[in-house]
Amino acid sequence: MDESSTTTLGERVRRAQRGDQPAMRELIVSYQRRVAGFVYAVTGRSDSVEDIAQVVFIKMARSVARLKAPEQFEPWLFRLARNTCIDHLRRQKLRRIFLPFAPEHENVPEPAGAVDSEELDALRHALSQLRPKDRALIALVQEGRSHAEIADVFRTSVAAVKARLHRAREQLRQHYTSDET
Amino acid sequence: MKPEDEAWMRLREHASSRITPGFPDRVLRAARAKPSPLLVSHFAMCAGTAALCLAAVALFHAGNSGDDEASNLASWNEVAAQANDLEQGL
Repeated sequence: MDESSTTTLGERVRRAQRGDQPAMRELIVSYQRRVAGFVYAVTGRSDSVEDIAQVVFIKMARSVARLKAPEQFEPWLFRLARNTCIDHLRRQKLRRIFLPFAPEHENVPEPAGAVDSEELDALRHALSQLRPKDRALIALVQEGRSHAEIADVFRTSVAAVKARLHRAREQLRQHYTSDET
Repeated sequence: MKPEDEAWMRLREHASSRITPGFPDRVLRAARAKPSPLLVSHFAMCAGTAALCLAAVALFHAGNSGDDEASNLASWNEVAAQANDLEQGL
């Protein structure tokens, strides 16, 4: 991101922090696609993408005023998205303990025509083989987040992020290629 | 472009196609809304249930410990009476 766009973003965030609704709306419009992609990569379910993205943006709207550095909006937003996805998956896991479903109800396939390419299907399958936290890690890298920002999101060191990312990428590559062949 | 990158691009496209028109306005409306009364009543019901459970456990415990005390006292009286009988016999 260049300097001018950072300035524009910072200004927009500051306006949103003052309660300016059009600025808040602009922020949602600019990030909804990226957040949706991130949510899909982490949860693997396209039918819950909109609901989870909505929760992320509601959290954003309610707490943006407390963000101290408006320039840090993007990593902050993706931290919200990551935490919301992990919470969602955790709740789903808990629900499974109390309401056990049969395996055929657990893995309901995506609706017909929803996944229209083999590449996407292979990637979805490969991602599903990783732990949710590793999926979030890879999705954050795909979003262009730096190692330092990811370390901040995961509350760990840059070295730990690099090591974990290396392992996660290896795993993803293995599943991706084995699925393609 | 690597095939993997193309897959990521498709993933983003597919995910954003799930966002229905009017999404930002729905988010803003929901963010402005106060917690629903349904949520408040849900919490009230949880607190009520917890209080009832606690009361039931306390009552059960009090009843049980009273019974135990009575049965201990009865056994103790029996032992005392037997000891008395034994003393008189001697």
